[in-house]
Amino acid sequence: MAIIERPAPTVPAVVTPTSTYGVLKRPVSATGWRSWVFTVDHKKIGIMYGATAMFFFIVGGVEALLIRLQLAAPNGKVLNADLYNQMFTMHATTMVFLFVMPMAAAFANYFVPLQIGARDVAFPRLNAFSFWALLFGGIFLNLAWFLGGAADGGWFMYAPNSGPVFSPTNGVDFWALGLQITGIASLAGAINLIITVLNMRAPGMSLMKMPIFTWMITVVQFLLLFAVPVITVALFLLSFQRNFGARFFDVAAGADPLLWQHLFWIFGHPEVYILILPSFGIISEVLPVFSRKPLFGYPFVVFSGAAIGFVGWGVWAHHMFASGLGPVSVAVFSLTTMAIAVPTGVKIINWTLTMWGGKLWFTTAMKFAIGLIVLFTVGGLSGVTHSVAPSDTQQTDTYYIVAHFHYVLFGGAVLGIFSGFYYWWPKVFGKMLNEKLGSWNFWLMIIGLNLTFGPMHILGLQGQPRRMYRWTEARAGEGFFNLAFWNMIASIGSFILTTGILMFLINVWVTWRNPKKAPLDPWDARSLEWMTTNPPKEHNFDVIPTVHHLDEFFHRKYEEDATTHTMKQVATAEELMAEQERNADKHIHMPSPSYWPIVLAFALPIITFGIIYSYLISVVGGVIVLFAAYGWALESSTAPDSDFENNTPGTALAIHD
Amino acid sequence: MHKTLKSAVVVFVGSLVAASCATNAPQDTWQPKGPNAKLIDDLQQPVFAVAGIIGLIVAAAVTYTVIKYRDRGQPIPEQTHGKPALEITLTVIPALILAVVAVFTFGAIFKLAKTDDTEMIINVTGQQWWWEYDYPVQNEFGITSPIISSGQLVMPVGTKVLLRETSRDVIHSYWIPALNGKRDAVPGRVQTLRLEADEPGIYAGQCTEFCGLSHANMRMEAVALSKEDFAKWVANQQAPYVVPAKDSLAQQGETVFLNQCVRCHQVNGLMRADGTPAIAAPDENVWSGAAPNLSHLMSRNTFAGAAFDLLSKKCRDEVWGAPSNVVGAKYLAGVTEDCLNQKDLRAWLRNAPEMKPMYANPADLEISNGKYRGMPYLALSEDDINKLVAYLLTLK
Repeated sequence: MAIIERPAPTVPAVVTPTSTYGVLKRPVSATGWRSWVFTVDHKKIGIMYGATAMFFFIVGGVEALLIRLQLAAPNGKVLNADLYNQMFTMHATTMVFLFVMPMAAAFANYFVPLQIGARDVAFPRLNAFSFWALLFGGIFLNLAWFLGGAADGGWFMYAPNSGPVFSPTNGVDFWALGLQITGIASLAGAINLIITVLNMRAPGMSLMKMPIFTWMITVVQFLLLFAVPVITVALFLLSFQRNFGARFFDVAAGADPLLWQHLFWIFGHPEVYILILPSFGIISEVLPVFSRKPLFGYPFVVFSGAAIGFVGWGVWAHHMFASGLGPVSVAVFSLTTMAIAVPTGVKIINWTLTMWGGKLWFTTAMKFAIGLIVLFTVGGLSGVTHSVAPSDTQQTDTYYIVAHFHYVLFGGAVLGIFSGFYYWWPKVFGKMLNEKLGSWNFWLMIIGLNLTFGPMHILGLQGQPRRMYRWTEARAGEGFFNLAFWNMIASIGSFILTTGILMFLINVWVTWRNPKKAPLDPWDARSLEWMTTNPPKEHNFDVIPTVHHLDEFFHRKYEEDATTHTMKQVATAEELMAEQERNADKHIHMPSPSYWPIVLAFALPIITFGIIYSYLISVVGGVIVLFAAYGWALESSTAPDSDFENNTPGTALAIHD
Repeated sequence: MHKTLKSAVVVFVGSLVAASCATNAPQDTWQPKGPNAKLIDDLQQPVFAVAGIIGLIVAAAVTYTVIKYRDRGQPIPEQTHGKPALEITLTVIPALILAVVAVFTFGAIFKLAKTDDTEMIINVTGQQWWWEYDYPVQNEFGITSPIISSGQLVMPVGTKVLLRETSRDVIHSYWIPALNGKRDAVPGRVQTLRLEADEPGIYAGQCTEFCGLSHANMRMEAVALSKEDFAKWVANQQAPYVVPAKDSLAQQGETVFLNQCVRCHQVNGLMRADGTPAIAAPDENVWSGAAPNLSHLMSRNTFAGAAFDLLSKKCRDEVWGAPSNVVGAKYLAGVTEDCLNQKDLRAWLRNAPEMKPMYANPADLEISNGKYRGMPYLALSEDDINKLVAYLLTLK
């Protein structure tokens, strides 16, 4: 391989704007913590999303381990009833809202602009605001642990058990208001990404030439756009009930508590697809790369994703088969739930056929992707068993359901996320994660998660309900393989699973310490995000590529022989990179950092804190919001060229050469 | 050869599945003991089988692909983008399978929702954290005055019983897996659940909608009795109050009961010293407005929301393990002094919230206007507890 001389990397220099915009001077640091806190760079924001999500993954994981410790043996004494109820509520809330969703946002933020050949998202400051709102919302949610106890009504928070009499601590208030803040983050992020995808694709990239990950993320953003407002309404009703004496769920005042269930699940079911589709997107990128073949039936995968996005709105009441909806509703939702299994099945078939006839390279990323195909299928099939509504009335609220959605969410969403870690780590950090540790990571997680969640099928079908802080031997049955045995196995499995995840953290540390840089194109990849340096320059691409193919990068490297249909390499990644650098755009103007997103986001928990404790605090928060919005409005999104005229080329803010 | 191999695999997998489960788990959903649960089981078993087979096919296909197409230095494959005909076929097949499942599912949904063939009605009310059963007057079963019980639902075998469920506080869910699936008990609504048992026996259940602090301790049992035994049970429940023998410990216990317990717990026919009937007022003391009616307490085998046994372990095992032809007689024998689970009952009287977490600390009841959710700590002396136990034993 030819050694290609590349220009020395430009050192970012501090640029001092010469003028003040609106209220404050712009932040200018290109290095140090300020360069992160005030950044509007989608890549830095993506990394911060990822780090935040990882932190909450550990928090939620510790909560899960405490739950398994408590349930390992009958009449567990590790947690009392009150603490246990808080623990399972916050475990689910944390994993759903503070781990999987932000982790998907991390991948989306980082890779969507790169995959569509853009230099940033449509609204970079709004993007930063989304992240900070998520972080502060997540912290606010968890503050309740230290202020009298966390929410204890389950993540589904059914009324009237979530009301002020039945949950007298402030936990549910922190929960409802904290989720409002993360909801604002999700909505702003969704709008941002939708507009980015619709407007900022590279020339030639029609929607049907768009990378599949970006497609799935786009579907997810539309789901968020319509689902988050529903939970917002529900949470407002709940907060008004608790904080302002409203009686939306008060039966004595003529309310019907099933209203909450409908609102929650109209959000809650699309939410399931919000959690899983990003991982479907990730492995739909990973499988073709390591099979050396395009995604089998790309249009089918796109349309089945979109179909899931639509049908996902018509299945919510399958969470309520035991609620007493009446046979007609139950029959309808039974049918729609069966229907949604079809587009999901399409994906599994397409992934398998992508590998069929390929040249499979079993990297850790690929192993996680294959793991997802198999384990998600288990979760999907158990899902079909409870689309049969009468059968579901036996299974619902038992450990069988816990097994089902952990196969879907851990076997699906989380394995996809880990696949993405290994696949894109060199892109983001310029270093390869260790494959040997990766193998340990993979196998320990696979063994651990099957030992943890596999036995829960048996526990549930043999009648162990969920959400019980203790179980009794009187209901555990006889024989060696009684429920006590399987509870113990599940608890042991959870520690093996934890060891697997620790292997990942060790891997990150080892990789961090290892000076070895990743090659430019370590996987011989296919999509545009690999057509730039590792990590990408701040402006992503020296030249915005013109797209002719799905898998544009691959087709620039390889050409098909017209007669034999074999693939012949015509260019290396290094050559393509060198060509790009030679033709680099002369004038790239990147959005400038800003103080306002973090200031505005920080005011939100102050307002909600005040709703719980004193309206005076809310007023302070409100004033900060107004101040930040004012400053934001007066600040142009990009500092004008005049600010940079006397500065070094290649700064963090703008490039002129 | 292949056939024997195949059947060997089937037997092996089958026995693996069977062997990996507990025997006689009381809440096993795969052991129906009545027509409603049987209907569900007949529907779900083929679905489980088909799902299992599809799962194995996918796993096998993936494994085969992974082994066959691993990188052995073959050239980069042709960049094929898919075969629409194959994909449409593979989409239609699962859709057809599901269509068949849907047809049978619909039939079952409507059968399970039927109420017009009901033979007996029992009103079931959930509250934190116990179930109340109210048998309205039904002369054909000898119920000439309403019977109110809790914890254990007693019903005749071979009878189509319709539960009319509601709740006094939060949402609960009634579930006896051997007899039917769940139905939520929702405040402000009355919802129905069909139950029918084929054989006399005791069928375990558990509240399955998360209902707060002691959700885990809200259990129930359905006791199916032969029609003759059920008639005996009904007669006993309607039997008049028996005043404890004069100068007995039990009589002193009655006084303690009148001083302490009757604030919430009704015992039908109990009179105050002045000759007026002692009427419990749980609505003044408990948020849900109800506390278990303790008339004929010793005819039940459990207390405190079926969370604890009234029977000692030995006697309990005798009743639960009895074959269906004698279980009725054993159950109707009730709790005698030598069979009483003294330990748990005394511990409960000593400090109930310690045994079953409840919102019963007077300091924390501002939001509920001083009303308890559950039974409070009563600071009874050991002497009072002795008297109370003696008195409760008379509530046959």
